[in-house]
Formats: sequence, C-alpha cells, structure tokens
Amino acid sequence: MITVRLAKAAAAAVAVAAVVAAPYVLPSYVVSLLTLGFIAALLAGSVNLLAGQAGLVSLGHAGLAAAGAYGVAWATVQGLPLPATLGVAGALTLAVSVLYALTTMRTSGIVFLMITLALGITVFGLAVKLSSVTGGQNGLTGIRRPEPIGEWWQFYFFTAAVYGVCLLAMAAMARSPFGLTLRGVRESQSRMISLGYSVRAVKFTAMVVSGGFAGLAGVLLAWNSEFMSPSAVSFPRSALAVVMVIVGGTGTLLGPLVGAAIVVATEYWLSSYLERWPTVLGVALILVVLFAPRGIVGGLEGLAGTLAQRPRRKEKS
Amino acid sequence: MSLDEVALQALNGLSFGALLFLLASGFTLVFGLMQIVNLAHGAFYLAGGYVGVAAFGASGSFPVAVAAGAAAAAAIGLASERLLLRRVRGQELPEVLLTVGIALVLADACLALFGGNPRAIPIPDTLAGGVQLGAVTYPTYRLVVLSLAVGVGVLLYLVQHRTRLGALIRAGVDDREVAESLGIDVPRVFTAMFVFGSALAGLAGVVAAGLLTLRPGADTDILLFALVVVVVGGLGSLQGAAVGSALIGLVDAFAKVWVPELSTFAVFAPMAVVLMFRPSGLFGRSRP
Amino acid sequence: MIPRTWQSRRTARLLLVVVALALAASACAPQEDGGDAQAGGSVKLGFISPVTGFVAALGTDMRRGWEMYWSQNGGKAGDTTVETVFEDDTGDPDVALTKARRLVEQEQVQLVAGPILANTAYAVAGYVAGRGLPTVQMTGADDLTQRKFDPLVLRVGYTSSQSNFPAGQWAYEQGHRQAVTICPDYAFGWESCGGFVSAFVKAGGKITKQVWHPLGTQDFSTYVSQARQANPDVVFVGSAGGPDAILLYKAWTGFGLKDKIPLIGNCCFADQVFLREVGAEALGLQSFTYWVEGRESPAVQNFVKAYEQQHKEIPSLYAAGAYTMAQVVAEALKKTGGKIEGKAFIDAARQVSLSDSLYGALTFDDTNNVVGPVYLTQVARREDGTLWSVVEQSFPEVSQFGSEGKEAFLEHPVFSRDYTGQ
Repeated sequence: MITVRLAKAAAAAVAVAAVVAAPYVLPSYVVSLLTLGFIAALLAGSVNLLAGQAGLVSLGHAGLAAAGAYGVAWATVQGLPLPATLGVAGALTLAVSVLYALTTMRTSGIVFLMITLALGITVFGLAVKLSSVTGGQNGLTGIRRPEPIGEWWQFYFFTAAVYGVCLLAMAAMARSPFGLTLRGVRESQSRMISLGYSVRAVKFTAMVVSGGFAGLAGVLLAWNSEFMSPSAVSFPRSALAVVMVIVGGTGTLLGPLVGAAIVVATEYWLSSYLERWPTVLGVALILVVLFAPRGIVGGLEGLAGTLAQRPRRKEKS
Repeated sequence: MSLDEVALQALNGLSFGALLFLLASGFTLVFGLMQIVNLAHGAFYLAGGYVGVAAFGASGSFPVAVAAGAAAAAAIGLASERLLLRRVRGQELPEVLLTVGIALVLADACLALFGGNPRAIPIPDTLAGGVQLGAVTYPTYRLVVLSLAVGVGVLLYLVQHRTRLGALIRAGVDDREVAESLGIDVPRVFTAMFVFGSALAGLAGVVAAGLLTLRPGADTDILLFALVVVVVGGLGSLQGAAVGSALIGLVDAFAKVWVPELSTFAVFAPMAVVLMFRPSGLFGRSRP
Repeated sequence: MIPRTWQSRRTARLLLVVVALALAASACAPQEDGGDAQAGGSVKLGFISPVTGFVAALGTDMRRGWEMYWSQNGGKAGDTTVETVFEDDTGDPDVALTKARRLVEQEQVQLVAGPILANTAYAVAGYVAGRGLPTVQMTGADDLTQRKFDPLVLRVGYTSSQSNFPAGQWAYEQGHRQAVTICPDYAFGWESCGGFVSAFVKAGGKITKQVWHPLGTQDFSTYVSQARQANPDVVFVGSAGGPDAILLYKAWTGFGLKDKIPLIGNCCFADQVFLREVGAEALGLQSFTYWVEGRESPAVQNFVKAYEQQHKEIPSLYAAGAYTMAQVVAEALKKTGGKIEGKAFIDAARQVSLSDSLYGALTFDDTNNVVGPVYLTQVARREDGTLWSVVEQSFPEVSQFGSEGKEAFLEHPVFSRDYTGQ
C-alpha cells in the first residue's frame, strides 16, 4: 500500500511540476489552450459531481456557468470593484443554482436530463433577450481581468490553481458522508427514503454545490475571453461538457480533465488542420461508449486493477 | 386581436405543430418500445431532407423526393441500430450517448456533402398557392402538411391498437420476457420499429424542405422542439405526441404575437413547469 | 458499484504545497510569443472565417474571395509577397478568439482579417487591437467604427444601417406613408431596421408596426400574418440572409402578398443563396445593397466571370467582401512599402481610394469605415436564365452617419429594439 501511495504522490508531483513548467517551455498560444482546458475541466467536473455520484446527467450546466460569467462581465463593465464583482457573480450563481435545484430535485434519469436541458435553453434565451444587460448576441466587450492575474501567464497559473483546489474539494466531497449519500441515491432511492434520508434535500444540495463549481468555471471563462456572448453558454456547450465527462470517465476524479483535454484539443487545435473535426469528436464518442463504457480513466483504472490483482491470485494458488 | 386573426394564427400554430408531430411521433414510438432517447433523430430528419432535396433536383418529382428521403433515413436508422445501438441495448445512458455521437457524425457528413447554404424544395404546382378561408388566403401546402400529419397519426393509432403488429409492439413494451416466451422475435421488432421511426424523421425532413429550409444546425433546432413535444406529451405516448405538438405549435405561434421578446424560449419554460408538476408528462406512464 | 476515488491525504497536502510554490514561482514571467513586426519583402496575414458550424456557407465564400484576389495578383502586393494563414472560427466567439491567439502568438501574423459575425468580430478585434496589431473587418456591427471606434480596426464594408438610409428616403419619395419593418431580433436587425426607420421618419413617414423575429426562426407564418394585418403601404425587410430570408419570403408569397404589398429588402436579403432556392418567385424584388453581381462595371463582371469559372456559382456578398478586403490591404501595403506597423498601416489603408472596386467608388471616413455607393437593385434574369440582381438607381457616397453629421449621429445611442425614429 505504501508503494502505491508513494507512486501516486510522485505522479501528482510530476503533474504539478509539469503544470508549473508549461508556460516557460510551451508557446503562449498552447498555454492559452491549457487554460481553456482547465476551465472546461472545471465545468465538466461540476457535471461529473452529479453524474458520477448521484447518476444525474445534466444537459444544462452551461446555464449555470452563464450565471457566473455574466455576473462578472456585467459587474466589470459597470465598473464595480473586484469584491463587488465577485459578489454579483456569486449571488447570481446561487440564485440560478437554487432555481435549477428546486425544479429538478423531484426528478431523476431522463426527466432530469430534459428539465436541465430546458433550463439551460431558457437561460441562453434570457442572455440573448436581455440585451440591455447582457449585450444580446453581440455580447459584452470591455471586460478586463483584475490586475494581479492580468497577464496571460498569471491567469494560467491562477486557473490551474483554482482547478487544483476544486479538484481536491471534489475529491474530499466524494469521500465524505455526503458523497456516500449521493451514491446511495443513485443506487436506490427507495432504500434511502426508508433509511430516513430526504432524497429531495440531498439532490437539492448536490445541485447547488455543483452549480457553484459551474459558476466558478463561468467566471474564469469570462476572464479568459475578456468578452462574453450567449454562444459561450449555448446548448452545445452543455452537451460538450457531458461528452467530456463520458469520454474521460463518469465518476472518476480525473476523467473530466482527460475528457476536457480531448474535446478542447479537437475543437480548438485539430480544427485548425482538419475541417471535419466534428466527425472525429463523434467517432471518438461512439468508440468510447462501445469499447470503454467507463471512459478512458475508468478503463485505465480497471486495467490497473486487474494488473494489480494478478500477482495476488498467483499467491493464492 | 380580431377573431379572423386568432383563427389565422391558430392555423399557423397547428400546421407547424403538424410538422413537429411527424418528427415527434417517430421519436416517441421508438422510446415507447425500446426506451431509447434518440438524440440523432434530428440528424435523421436533416439527412432525409437533404436526400429528398437531391432526389427532387434529379427527378423533379415531389413524391420521389419524399420516398427517397424516407428511404435514406430508414437506411441510416437500420445501420445505426444494427451496428451500434444493439451493442448497448437496455443501457439508458450509453444509448443516449451513442445517438449523440451518431448525430455529430451525421450532421458533419451533411455539411460536407450538401454544403452550408440553406436548401429547400419548391412546392409542387398542385400544392402551391392559397385556399380562400373566409377573408384570408391560406397557403395550400400548410393545409396539406396538416392533413398529412392527421393521416399519419390516425394510421399509427390504428396500427398500434387494431393490428397484430401493434399487439406485438405493445407486448414488447409491457413484458419482454413473456413476449419472447411466446415466440416473438423481440430484437427484430425493435429493429423494425427503429427503422420505421427513422423513416418518419426522413419524411418530416422532406416535408420541412418544402415548408421551411434545411441548413446546418436545423437538426438540433427542430430536435429541441420535438423533445419539448414528447416530454410535455409524455415519453412513449402517441396521444401525448399528438396533443403535445398541437399545444407547442399553438404556444409558439401565439407567443410570437403576444410576447415576441420571449419567443425563442417561450416553449421551454412551460415544459419545465409541466415537468415540475407532472414529471412523466401529460399522457406518460409514471416511471420509477 | 462505488467508483474509486483518489484516497491519499498526503497527496493532497503535497499538491497544495506545490500549488503554493507554483504561485510563488510565477513571480518571474515567462516570455510571450509573437507580435514582432517584420519589415522587408514578405508579410504574413491571418484570415479567420467560419467554415464549419451554422454559418459555414458565409465563411467558405469569404475564404474563396480572399484567395481569389491573391491568386489573381500572384500572391503579391507590389513587391511584397503575401502569405495567408487560414483559420476556422465555427461561428463561436470563444473559438474565434482562440484562433486569433494562435494566428498572432504561434503563426506570428502581422494583421488579422475577419471574421464575419458581429460577436466573433468584436472578440477578435478586441484581442488583436489589444496586442497592437491592425485588423480589417467586414462585419456590419455599427459601433465597431462608431462608439467603439479603435484606430487599429478598419472596416472594409458597410455598417448594418448604412445602406438602408437611402431606402427610407426613397420609400417616402415613392409616395409610401405607412411602413412596416421585419427584422431579426438582435443587434444586426435593430441596426438594419434603424437605418431605414430613421430616414423614413425623418422624411415624414410613419412606422405602423415593427416585427422582430428571433434569428433562426423556423416558421415565419405568424410574423407575415402580423405584417399583413397592419395593412401598410410598404414593408421593409432587414434580413441577415440565409434561411431566415428564404423562409420569410416563402411565407410572404405563400400568403399571396407578393403582388399586394410592395416589399423592399436590405443588403443581405435577396442574395444568390436566396435566389437559387426561391427561383422565379423572386423576379422583380427590389433591394438596397452595395454588392450587385449584375452591375455593369468591368471590375464586377471580371470578378463574377473568374469566380464562376472556378466555383460554378455567382459570388456572394461574402466572397466579394473578402476580395475587397484583400484589395484594400494590398493597396495599403503598396503605400507602406510592405511594412505593417500597427496604426501607421491602418492610417495608410484609410487613405486608399478605389475608383472601381466591387462596390464602386470607395473611400474611407476618419473613423475607418467605408464611404461608398448604395444601389437600388431589382432581381432579373441574366442571358443564360440565371437569376441575379441589376442596378436600378445609384446613391453615391453614402456615409455610415446617414444624412446627419458625425457628431449629431453619435449623440444618440446605437440603434436598438426600442428605436422608433422619434
């Protein structure tokens, strides 16, 4: 066990060292892709929180990111100071998350999927229509990152750090009693009810927490582009977040990061060289669903598990 | 708003609802039998429609276009079911995700083959022009689409409730094991139903090429409408799809007149409300 | 089954420490790439347009127009060799921005041209100008050269409202007194209708109803019914083109209104895409625009001929627009001797004056926007039977500020949904 822990710690150290070294060795454009990747991974992580633990697949999380993003965008354009800006973004995210939570806490499965889809499209519609606040289709220009993270590399470090902290928080949550309750809800709602849990309250809380992470991703998104328009929070964005989770591995901690890396690389990088990149994404999704139903990370973990067990079996025999 | 105007807008809503029904009925039947949420249904619609446009270009005949569009969508449906969906049968989420993958690939293939410009089929002369209804002229083609949808709906209802095939299909829904023990080839019935649902999507695509136009992105736009219809009506229910399409068509039309600033999402907010209070939809069976 | 989670607390602590270290280390700044202007015999330009996604058709045409200009001129502007790196923005501002970063930081281009949609253009122009590099645009968004004017951004094209000022004036002069407008419900539509409404009301006309439809409306019957109910003398359509234009016109003729109420379109309504799908029903349709494929001018007819030979279709506004962008960039390069140095380059480009461009006689005003002719056009048949537009009347030297002066115009806010001409 100790060696496993050591190996994991070493792997984590190497990963963090790589993240730190990136802007010094990679071209700045590639670093901006990494930044985008972390933001996408954070949004995918918030989807994974519900999908992986509670089995609730949301097709409307871009609407939650929109709350954070438009909160920051609007407040910055109004010239509010940073704390007030973050306050606006936080309050808006909380309000929208509670709305999502109230409308979805009675549902699960396909119905949950459909309501979140409807909510996401409603938020998108509001972003388009409330043009005096959101700038409509043309979007809001003139957003600036706060001073200490103004430079591209500062923002990269900031985003990576925020993602790292969120990753740890999500890991802690998965281990916590609340995480166990969520998994209980997924396995059998009726059993949880007979055990005295309020399934609705559990789902409500999970949605609000997930919404918080999504809203944070939205804040980073607005700061990254220094521009905000509805297409950043449209239905395809929600769908891509789900694709990231599935391809990476539902319920795994690092799955969303791997999925985000693949999707971002396809959409932003491969599309410079290959016009038919949506086909590549579609085929990748089909292959993962057919041949690695637990996603890439889930599949690798399974593989590692089998390899680790093999010697033990030998000992037994 | 005068009575004439209300009647006119109601007809507008119902005829758009008719197109939605053609699309939603196939979607809901597939779900009702196989529990598959086919998010590629919109892509089948688009592909069928484009093939219809191409067939019309080659033959100049509207019926040929309809047949070609439906056949093409049926073929794509057959391939999808046999080669892909069958491998994950019964697993709700992987099935949905597979259809998302199929939709991505198919939509991109349509863009590669048919280009990004909007495409339409000119309405055949016999159906062009208008019918005088009281004080207003109403486009004949819209009335034809309306009657086509009613015809398809009645036919589907009769097949489902009055024929052996319908009984077979309902048996597949209710208890698969019993149906199989009676010697029914359930996988085959599934394939047939999926192909039939896809053909309906293709048919809707060609009809839409006359009523609307086809373009990149039209697949998700119309699919969202169809989803709203079946979710409001109740997943898997044919009656639900009929009532849902009429309702959504009407809501869409009158929202455009009365609350134009909300028109992009006027149909989605009611859907969320319906689901909050009746998660299984108006006609849906309650599901665990 | 319970998924595995990452279980090591020690790992967590270690991670935190390293993150903290990383933040400390970030005090020394990494080097950014790109942005160095190279003088001399060659320049590298970036060109962004959407070739996938829902506006793929426009972006493809743009790329063809841009390529055609450079291939006709041997890839040179005077003695300067011009290389272009193409990017696809998929019609999404965030993708557009990332692609602009790639062009500037990785490919080290010295100028970015495109994209087309207003929101992608704002995102790209903001970033590129923020880096001190010049950019040329052809999007219509009014404020790009008005209230959000940036000395590093040149628009080789017309604002969304610009070509519709003559339309409002003309409609009044035809004896129309009550008008209905139909425009898409977002900035482009508000500005397109705004141009018409401001001129029509100023002339003395009355707007009895303004119909706003969402971009990408599937079913136009409701909107057409509303316009008819208002029983106007004339209907003005300020369309963004594409499916909306076709659907709107199909509903219009479907309800039998073609010969009952006069309808005039804007720049982007009765374009080639529209004419190919609508067919003979469009004959006689009048529009106000600046790209007219049937205009009798050697520049236009040579371009149409060459383009048709290569791509088997009559070039669209987007092909012509990108071609003209390339032409202006080339002329400016000749003026600067092949140097692209931020504002100096845009200043040189603003001095470019073309007597026979694809739009006609073209100059620029002091906020970097085209001053050029607008044409009243009519759909007609070419000798070979193909539908195209021909000029009925010309309105020379139309400015983005209409008949008002710059100062008076900029005093009122940009045209919005609530603008009624009062």
